[in-house]
Amino acid sequence: MSIRVQFPLDPNAYKILDEIGVGVSATVYKAICVPMNSTLVAIKCIDLDQSRADIDSLRRETKTMSILSHPNVLESHCSFTVDRHLWMVMPFMSAGSLQSIISSSFPDGLPEPCIAIVLKETLNALSYLHDQGHIHRDVKAGNILIDSNGKVKLADFGVSASIYELNTFERPSSLSYSSSMRLTDVAGTPYWMAPEVIHSHTGYSFKADIWSFGITALELAHGHPPLSDLPPSKSLMMKITKRFRFSDYHDEKHKKNCRNKKFSKAFKDMVAYCLDQNPSKRPCADKLLKHSFFKNCKGLDFLVKKVLQGLPSVEERFKETRALYGPSSHSSTDIEEQVNQEDIEVDFVFQNVKTRRISGWNFNEEGFQLDPVFPTDSKNDSVVKQVRFGGESFIPEKKIEFSESDGSGELIDSAQSSSLNSPAPVEEEMSRVGGSFEGLNQETMLRGLVALKRSLEEQRRHVAIIIGLLGGETNGEEQMVQMIENLKGELDLEKQKNLKVEMELEVLKIVISGAFGAAASFTN
Amino acid sequence: MLGGKIGVCVSKPAAAAAAREEVVVKRLSPPPQSPAAAAAAAATKGHSGLSSSKSGHSGLLTSKSGQLVSDSKRMKGLFKSKPRTPVDVVRQTRDLLIYADRSSSSLSDSKRDEKMAELGKSIRDLKSILYGNSESEPVAEACAQLTQEFFRENTLRLLIICLPKLNLEARKDATQVVANLQRQQVNSRLIASDYLEKNTDLLDILIVGYENTEMALHYGVMLRECIRHQSVARYVLESPHVKKFFDYIQLPNFDISADAAATFKELLTRHKSTVAEFLSKNYDWFFAEFNSKLLESTNYITRRQAVKLLGDILLDRSNAVVMTRYVSSRDNLRILMNLLRESSKTIQTEAFHVFKLFAANQNKPPDIVSILIANKSKLLRLFADFKTDKEDEQFEADKAQVVKEIAALEPRE
Repeated sequence: MSIRVQFPLDPNAYKILDEIGVGVSATVYKAICVPMNSTLVAIKCIDLDQSRADIDSLRRETKTMSILSHPNVLESHCSFTVDRHLWMVMPFMSAGSLQSIISSSFPDGLPEPCIAIVLKETLNALSYLHDQGHIHRDVKAGNILIDSNGKVKLADFGVSASIYELNTFERPSSLSYSSSMRLTDVAGTPYWMAPEVIHSHTGYSFKADIWSFGITALELAHGHPPLSDLPPSKSLMMKITKRFRFSDYHDEKHKKNCRNKKFSKAFKDMVAYCLDQNPSKRPCADKLLKHSFFKNCKGLDFLVKKVLQGLPSVEERFKETRALYGPSSHSSTDIEEQVNQEDIEVDFVFQNVKTRRISGWNFNEEGFQLDPVFPTDSKNDSVVKQVRFGGESFIPEKKIEFSESDGSGELIDSAQSSSLNSPAPVEEEMSRVGGSFEGLNQETMLRGLVALKRSLEEQRRHVAIIIGLLGGETNGEEQMVQMIENLKGELDLEKQKNLKVEMELEVLKIVISGAFGAAASFTN
Repeated sequence: MLGGKIGVCVSKPAAAAAAREEVVVKRLSPPPQSPAAAAAAAATKGHSGLSSSKSGHSGLLTSKSGQLVSDSKRMKGLFKSKPRTPVDVVRQTRDLLIYADRSSSSLSDSKRDEKMAELGKSIRDLKSILYGNSESEPVAEACAQLTQEFFRENTLRLLIICLPKLNLEARKDATQVVANLQRQQVNSRLIASDYLEKNTDLLDILIVGYENTEMALHYGVMLRECIRHQSVARYVLESPHVKKFFDYIQLPNFDISADAAATFKELLTRHKSTVAEFLSKNYDWFFAEFNSKLLESTNYITRRQAVKLLGDILLDRSNAVVMTRYVSSRDNLRILMNLLRESSKTIQTEAFHVFKLFAANQNKPPDIVSILIANKSKLLRLFADFKTDKEDEQFEADKAQVVKEIAALEPRE
């Protein structure tokens, strides 16, 4: 039984040495705990008066950290309030986060044996968390910390969720652990988020962490997560709208870089396994641990030798990034991740980009990255030619141009459509649209367009939700409209059902009256 | 359909049902405490939820329909070597808890360690039956059987008492088991509630648990789940222990104080009629404590949570009488006006939602009126640049109303 050493709950017992990270409403300090042999600690200092700091979620976070106990999970020594601030005292992880290590010393990624070590340790943490009913929801290199001995710990439970806590308030009747347990709120950091988390209406579970884990593997291998050349909001949009700015990730230089890097078959296979579109096909953490990639993993000392030696200290790195981005750049993702605390503040700058529609994300095992998937005809699998939204805006709103190679570029106004179709899976709609461009006859075209229109509405809804979640203008009215539309849809369904029933009734009446008539005539 | 069967089964006298199950148990399972059983449980750990719920099902069928099913199941059971029914698991847990309770923890012989490990495992098995696991959903019949057996005897008492003797993982599992059991219905009755009504001293243990840093978070979760039952909440509110919350909320450990605050809030907001009754009966001491210990605390987070809670309480329709009384007191007004002056935006905003009740009261006592008049210009100035972070129409409307009320106040001749 491990009894935790009680750290003092008095701010005067700690001496702050240096700032090592800063986020929107929190700062992280390196400090020593004087009465405890001047043990080094990290103190996350959260400003409680910030509107973003919700006490209930902080309660959950501190509780989670104090009741979890695993060598690969960052625990908290204690937490207490100091006037308006909450201090969370944690072990000081002297090498900092993998993200900061990469950005300071390994811009093109870590060597594969080192990746195997840190991923295995991280996977141990995930296996434990999932067993405990926790979904981390923010797995990324920025949340994987290393200390001077090469010990790896998964950190930041700011957005983690416990299925038990969740059940406490939201699902009084159905208590369950299994995969049908579903969360529906969007949480995490865009680049690492699993598709089903973004499409949150379908719900997600533990497997979302496995996706993020796969993205983290790519991040460690390439030095940055896929799509990270886009602002986070856009990465999110990309996954929602399934559109992809093609040139960025596939420019020549980038391709070359990737080709020069050799990764083992086992590594590629492991990542491919995690990045399955279908959550149920992704392995659970326990199963993944048995993957051949993690066999014959080297020890932590290898990590120390290969990665930690000669690394600038966390403080130095922090100062460097800060100098680079300026002290006020709170929204800089680099700083954010170094702190590994805060959600990324999202800026909505929509550049004019030409976009190309894709129907999903496939992991390209050869190229070792996520590749966009173009809508294909389900029968012959032939790639449908490019469909471009030529509206020159990221989210096409007014005009849609089909610059099909064989089609005459038609301009169709699809603005302000207001059909009441119940939301259908976007993917399906998309591929249907995609498929329809082969023949290009009017009927299929029309059908395609109707589906496209519907899908655009669906997407618009999602974007609105995201904007709302990111603290943007949530328009109460819009929500109402949304709700009304949903209700209308339901009403329509009910009406249809009603009609059917009435029809049946009519038929029955006829039958009965017929029978009655027959009977009557018989008696007559 | 099966639910109906359980119903029949359950409504029989407990002793008869138990006797019948006893037979089944003996036939189906190896001695509950044998190391072999523990090993088997460990071997099939991943499947334990599934198989025990299945066998739970079979137990039911056996006890209803007799030999044939029982024999075939037994054969299956032998080969699977995992025949424990939910009832078995509860019994094994109880036996091990009795052992844990009696044995001294200073004695660290290997036999005790082994038993404690077994106990941990069987608590985990209970959890997988109740919550399901990665491979299977919980089965309603199995949950019902487990719940009934659990409360048939003093398993809950033993579990709560022995909790400090368990290791961290077992404590967490036990907490989740107890939490879950509060919502399990047997014969559409929450039998946990019935049990707790007869064993209210357990609630005392849970409440005082906040004083034990090691146990606070586990007992806290259990307590919060227990007070979902109205009768239990009433007991806690009426017990002398309720006063302790004023101190627990200010404990130095944030995770514990925040947990106590969450429980306190639940106590004072969940069961409307009980809360209204409690507050009108205990108005004097309760609000005296609330004001002096919480609203005037030196601790930022205590003040912030308290003023928010006060708003929630007073704005609830069921507490209208209490609210009218609260907003007629000049002492209360003074405290709220001080909170309005705080530099913290959050506290200011929450304080406003209480202050508006003083201003909107159409039967303001003269001393309230005179305080408002004396501070009229200050208040109006304060509200002039009083804004929330986000635009809030309701807030603006309330503010306009309050400003109007205050501006209209004239000193009496």
